[in-house]
Formats: sequence, C-alpha cells, structure tokens
Amino acid sequence: MKSIRRCQHIMSLFLVLFIAGMVTLVIKIQRESAFYMMNSDKHVLGMVYDRNGDVLFDGSLKEGDTSKYGENYFIDVGNLIGDDKGQMTNTLVAKNVEKLNNYSFSQGIVDEGGKAALYTTLDHKANRTVYNAFSGSDGCAVAYNYKTGEILVCTSIPSLDVTNGYKELGTFRDGTLMSKNLSGTVPGSTQKVSTVISALEIMGPERLLAKTFNCSGKYTNKSGKVIDCHELYGHGDLSLQQAVEKSCNPYFAQLIEDPDLPFEELKEMYEDLGYALNGEETEYFEIDGIECMKASTTLTDPTDFQTQWGCMGQGDTLVSPIQLMMWQSAIANGTGKMTMPHLINKVTDVKGKVTEKASTKYSDRLFTEKTAESMKQILLTNGANNYAYSVPNHKIGVKSGTAQVQNGDKENSLLVGFVDEPDFPIAFCVVLEDRNSTYLTAESITQTMLDALSSQAN
Amino acid sequence: MNNPVSYTMSCLFVLLAHAAMLANVFINGNYNTITDPAILAGAVLLLDITYFTALLFFKQTSYTIDFLLVLVLNMSVIFQSSFGKVKFDGDAIKHYITAVTALIACRIGFIICRNYKTLQNKRKLIYIAIGICIVLILTLTGTRSMWIQIGPISLQPSEFIKPLFILACATSISEQQKKHKVLLFNVVYENIALFGLMAVICLLQWWCADLGSLPTFMAIYISAFLLRICYPKAKLSKKTYITAAAALLVVAVIAFKFAPAYVQDRLHADIWSDTNGNGYQQSQALIAIADGGWTGKGPGNGFLCNVVAHENDIVFATICEEWGLLYALMMIFVILIMLAVPLINPPRSYYHATMSAGVCAAFTVQMALNIFGSCNMIPFTGVTIPFISAGGSSMMVSGFMIGMLVSTQTPVLDNVKGQMRSSPKLPAKKQNKRPVRRQTV
Repeated sequence: MKSIRRCQHIMSLFLVLFIAGMVTLVIKIQRESAFYMMNSDKHVLGMVYDRNGDVLFDGSLKEGDTSKYGENYFIDVGNLIGDDKGQMTNTLVAKNVEKLNNYSFSQGIVDEGGKAALYTTLDHKANRTVYNAFSGSDGCAVAYNYKTGEILVCTSIPSLDVTNGYKELGTFRDGTLMSKNLSGTVPGSTQKVSTVISALEIMGPERLLAKTFNCSGKYTNKSGKVIDCHELYGHGDLSLQQAVEKSCNPYFAQLIEDPDLPFEELKEMYEDLGYALNGEETEYFEIDGIECMKASTTLTDPTDFQTQWGCMGQGDTLVSPIQLMMWQSAIANGTGKMTMPHLINKVTDVKGKVTEKASTKYSDRLFTEKTAESMKQILLTNGANNYAYSVPNHKIGVKSGTAQVQNGDKENSLLVGFVDEPDFPIAFCVVLEDRNSTYLTAESITQTMLDALSSQAN
Repeated sequence: MNNPVSYTMSCLFVLLAHAAMLANVFINGNYNTITDPAILAGAVLLLDITYFTALLFFKQTSYTIDFLLVLVLNMSVIFQSSFGKVKFDGDAIKHYITAVTALIACRIGFIICRNYKTLQNKRKLIYIAIGICIVLILTLTGTRSMWIQIGPISLQPSEFIKPLFILACATSISEQQKKHKVLLFNVVYENIALFGLMAVICLLQWWCADLGSLPTFMAIYISAFLLRICYPKAKLSKKTYITAAAALLVVAVIAFKFAPAYVQDRLHADIWSDTNGNGYQQSQALIAIADGGWTGKGPGNGFLCNVVAHENDIVFATICEEWGLLYALMMIFVILIMLAVPLINPPRSYYHATMSAGVCAAFTVQMALNIFGSCNMIPFTGVTIPFISAGGSSMMVSGFMIGMLVSTQTPVLDNVKGQMRSSPKLPAKKQNKRPVRRQTV
C-alpha cells in the first residue's frame, strides 16, 4: 500500500501546486485589479486635495467646465498635478491614477459618491501666491519642510489649467507641460555648494577654512585657460567664507587644482551626492511615482577648464531644482542625510478608507555632521551678511547662482537655501529665467514664498 | 444501490445547485424573453434527471464522481448559454450536445478502463490507436495543424491521444520487472516504448507549431515516470531522484532556450504594452475579471463575449465577469474535488493508481495552462478547461478521462466481475489488512 500512498502523494502534489497557483492568482487579481481597470475605458477618477482640503484636481470635471472652480483655478500646480489625458505623463495624477480610481474589486466602479482621493502636502494658496509673484516671467520655485519631507510649494511657469483641455496645444509655450522643478537646469554658482561640501568632507573644515587663494580678476589655470571673475579688479586674498559670499570663480578654480583636494576623492564625493559623471546615463529618482532627474556634470581632470567650469555650475552641468533643495535639507538638519521629499500625505480608497499614509524618510548619509555644520554656518553667514535686506523676515542660509544658458544669451537667476528656524524648517530653490528681462529677482520671489508659507503656518 | 437515501440526497443537491444558478439567470440575467432562460432551465433539469436515472443501470461502489460530473457539466451549460445574452440556441445547443457526449464518454471510459486484465492484454491496441491518431494528424489536417475538419465538425486528434497515453502508462506499469538484456544494458521494453511515444508526441506538436498541449503530455509522462520510481521493487535512492530532477531541468532549459520564435514571444510578452495586438485577449480578460469583481455583472451582461475565444481560451475570465470570481472559484473547486476523490477512496491497484495520477496530472495542468495563461501568470496557450470550455473533442476526451477516474472507484480486479479482489501486485499481508470500503456516494 506504500506505493498506492505514493501515488496519492503525486496526485496531491499536482493538486496542491494548482491550488497554490489559484491562491496566487486571487491575490494578484486583488492587488492589480485597479490597474486592469485603468487600462479599460471605464474609470471614474476621484479628487486631489491640498494640505488644507482645497481641490487641486477633480476627476468629475468635464473638459472646459470652469463653472465650478473658475478660470485657471488649477494653473499654479497644473503641470505637477496633471490629469489622465495622456498629454502629460510625469505628473502626480498620471503616475497614481490607479489610486485615484473610484473602483474596488468588491464594489466595482462607483460612479457617484466614491471617495478615492490623494491628499497632498501642497499648499494651494502659497503656490498661487508664488505663481503670481513671477508676474509673467518664466521659472520655477519649490519649497519643502526639511524635517518632515512635505513639499509645500512646487510651481513652474508657464503652466496650464487642465480643465481647459488641450485644444490650444499648438500655442503652448515650451515647458508648459512639465514641471521644471523635476528637470535638470544649469545650476550656476549654486553648484559651489556641492564643491564646498566635497572639499570640506575631503580636507576637513579646519584645513579648508585656513586656506586662502588670491583673485586678481582672472585666473589662468594649469592648462592655460583663463577663468574670469565677475569682479573685474579681483577680490584679493579670499577665505572660503569670503569666496562663497563673493562667489569667486578664480578661488574655486584654484581649489580644484589644489593638491590637498585629491581629484579622485572629489569625484567620489560628487558621485555620493548623486551626480552622473562624464556622460554616464542620466538617472531619475522618484517622488510618489514622479520621476525627477538626477544631477550630472563633467569631471575629467583637475586642471581642465570644463571640469573647473562644471564645479562652478556652468557648462554641461545640470541639476534639478528639487535636488538642489534636497541637498539644502542635508545641511539644514545637520545630519548630512537628505530628507526625502513627498507629495502625497495620504491616499483614500473608494470607501474613504486610508490605504496609504506618508512617513518621513531620509537618504543615506552623504557627508558627515561636521561637514554639514560647517556648511550650514557658511550659508547662514552668507544669508546674514548679504540677504538680510532682500529676505528680511527669516533667518536663512543661502547661496545664489547665475546660470548662463542658450550659449550665454540668457542668464537665469537661482537661489537655494533654508530657513534656520525650529518652527519653520523650510528648504527651497527658486529659479528665475532670463533675469535681465524682468525687474524681479530670485530673492523677491523667495521672500514672497516664505511669507506666504509662514502666514499659512501661523 | 446500498444507500438509496444518500443517492436521493445527492440528486437533490445537484438539482438544488443548478436551480440556484438558474434562479440567478432569471433574476439577474440579460435575456430577450422569459422563454430563453425557461428553455435553458428545462434542458438542464432534463439532463440532470436523465443522467440520475441512467446511473441506476450502472452498478458502482461509488457515484461521487458521477454526481460531481453532472453538476459541473450543467454548470458549464448554464455558463455557456449565458455569455453575452441568455439564450439556448446555436452554440449553446452545440455545447449541450457535447455535454451529453461527455457523459456518454464517461460511461464508456468507465466500462473500458475498470478491468485491469482486459486492457493489459490488449495494450498493443492502445499503441495502435495512438499511431492512428498521429497518422490522422499527419495526413488529414492538410496544413501543419492539429485540427481535422469534417463538414461542420472540427476534431482535434491530439486530444484523443491524452487518455490513450494515460492508458499506455497505466497498462505498462506492471511490466517494470521484466527487464531484457539488450547488448550490455538491462532494459524494460515498455519504458523505451513510452519514452519513444513521448518523443514522437513532442516532435508532432513541434511540427504542428502547437505546443499548447505539450505540458499536459509532459505532466502525464512525469506522473507515470514518478510512479515507476515508486513501484514496489524499484530501487529508490536519492541518486535516482537527483538524476531524474537534473534530467528534467536540462530538458526544460534546452526547451526554453531553443523554443521557436512564437513561443519566445509569448514567454517575454508584456501584454499591457500591446493591448491591441498580442496582448489583446489577456488584457481584455483581466479587465473583465476586475470588472466582474466577486459577484459578477450578471449572466449575459458581460462584454468579453465580444472577444475571440471567450468561450474556451479565456473562458475563466468570461465566467468571472458575468458570474463573479467567487462562482468561478467554486466551479474550479468542484473539478478539484472530482480529481481528489481517489485521495479519499484510494485506488486498489497500481494500474488504477497510475490512471488516477495521469488524469489528475492532465486535468490540473490543463486548467493551470488555461487559467494562469489567460490571466498573464504564464505564457498564453490555447488549451481548454475540462468541461467548462466549449469544444467537442475536449469535452468527449475529458468525459472519457473522468470515466477512467470513476473506474478506479469501482474496479474489476483479476477479471472477476462484480467482486472486489485485490490486485496481484499488492503484497498479500497488507491487502488482507485493508478493509473493503463500501459507499454509495
């Protein structure tokens, strides 16, 4: 009978394997059914709210129906929140459309009264204020709480109100259908923050702060190329603090060439910060499914003009405003770890049950606490010495930058930094495009943004 | 009939199950006039009662599988008559006829296969029958295909090879001890023959560019092979197991590596990036399952009926959409119970045991290929779910195979009719200890 039992074991094996497969199938269907439905022509999308319950997207709106919310109600975050029409694929709605569907496997599609929603961390009012502050100029601004990771402002101009649809697609200006905060931009001298962090980490604050380099208005590097300073007659002997405040290019060119700053270690630090070097394939990181471009630059030889130029944020260096902002968080919180930003605070399903809730996450340690503290002090001193007048209401640590784009035809103005106040822990990045065509400054937009956020916080 | 009460209760249970389904059709179904579901109800209940009556003419130890068979067959009739709109015409009548054929095939399978000696002595006929099927495929299909078209009827001879192959495996099990010296090797002729047969089937499927049924044959062969390893006098060792597993692994790797382009395409297909091309049926099937939810949209209210092969290749999804995943799982559960009956009431001989394992292997693999394939868990193949998918050949053969399973419950051993005798292959001491089970249902 042992053999008959073996036969039964073989039958049991087939049956058990099949049942295991069926159980897997049921689990798979349960988990993926929302995705399947999103691939059909039957879906009813829910709502996206800001942190105060204000609507940022309404799935029940018909195209062109502006009667409910008014004209351009969603324009300030239109190209970040997006829709499901397929014109914009890297948006919050497009990337989380399954969660927004008023569908569940047990209930099916709920046409009316479904409570599927994304509750975002954004502040609609502050975004609108910042959007208006650009006054028709192009650019972008992003700010987040560097203690919690909540993105509060993320506006990009030009933008669109998705309820108007895409009939006028041909007339849209470049950049309308994407949030520039997610894409790489030439960082200008804000890149010097990365260079200083790397040098502090490699050489140690004591050695670096003790060093001085001379600026005579221009510097001929070891490969014979000339690096100009924006100060025609030079800055004279400069310490690191002064070099950061003056944003002196010859200082940084000499720092890169300094034998105390081994080039291979500098490259490693840049890679640790998240740069793709020397033509490596560009990578992306995700914020609630939205892809954000990682930084890239050229570092080939310490005496090479392009390398030195790259360390100052010009040439082919590209960094997204969000990444510039995230580095500020690693400095501001004094740990050397970036606070990872998020847009979705919580997700509710069709019944209104919370299915996802955000939590604060941090990156690996990019640099030591000692480096973070030194860098923080440098930026705070810069803020106190040079921005107390233009951004008066907050204790900020900042670095400005001017990026030459379109072969030097246009200059973008950037300001990255953080607010060093326990109750108002905000890191930010503002990009004002073609600064010479407007009376605005990145500082004035930053001031408006911080005031808007602090009034909301209070 | 040892227990007429139990027999009656089983009849009532089957009738009640079908009545509940028909009530769902009447209440939630999509039909033009009340006559449509009424005719369907009449046909289903008529078939139930006729089969219950016919069963009385067959003296069996157990009728469990028979009740389950008629339960699942009429479930299938109700499903197939409801796809798109509840009606009992055209394809529905055709499916009803194939269901009747399956019941008849089951009776034939039971009569033919219950007697070990009868088939054992005529097993050459089994090989001849397989040979005829192969020749038919090679000659009558015209193009390189598995189908033979005779007027309005399409036959798939490869389906008929399945039960024959199981019988070939089962009838040759007792020949394991008869080793013959060929050159320097001790060989068992039957094992060589079976291996050769499996190889021919593989080549045939390859030639027809239809590898869908190959896993089913492989499963039958593997179960038979494992049973040979388990045979009483077989030398069981870890070495044997490891060698068998390694050989299987090598064959699988080679098969995947050198699989034809159309198979490779299916192995690496992303259905969601090609929802209008190769991924159409599967993506629509999954959407339909999601749309149906647990309880379905109601009989006749689905959209999947507009997709090609909704009644066979993706039938699981069509049922899920209209009747709900819960009902589809119940349907699969009934088939599984049918296959699991030999686990409760064990076969009495290695011949019957091999047959049970072969049928179980064939059915589970076929169901897995169909269900998991249509739900994008494994490559999509065009095999059928036994009794549920539409298709005459499949229904007939599945019926015959269930007949084989029924025969394991009421076996004739030692060629003595009506008596439960132990198999000569079982050790005498153990067989005496085993109580003879008698059950009606």
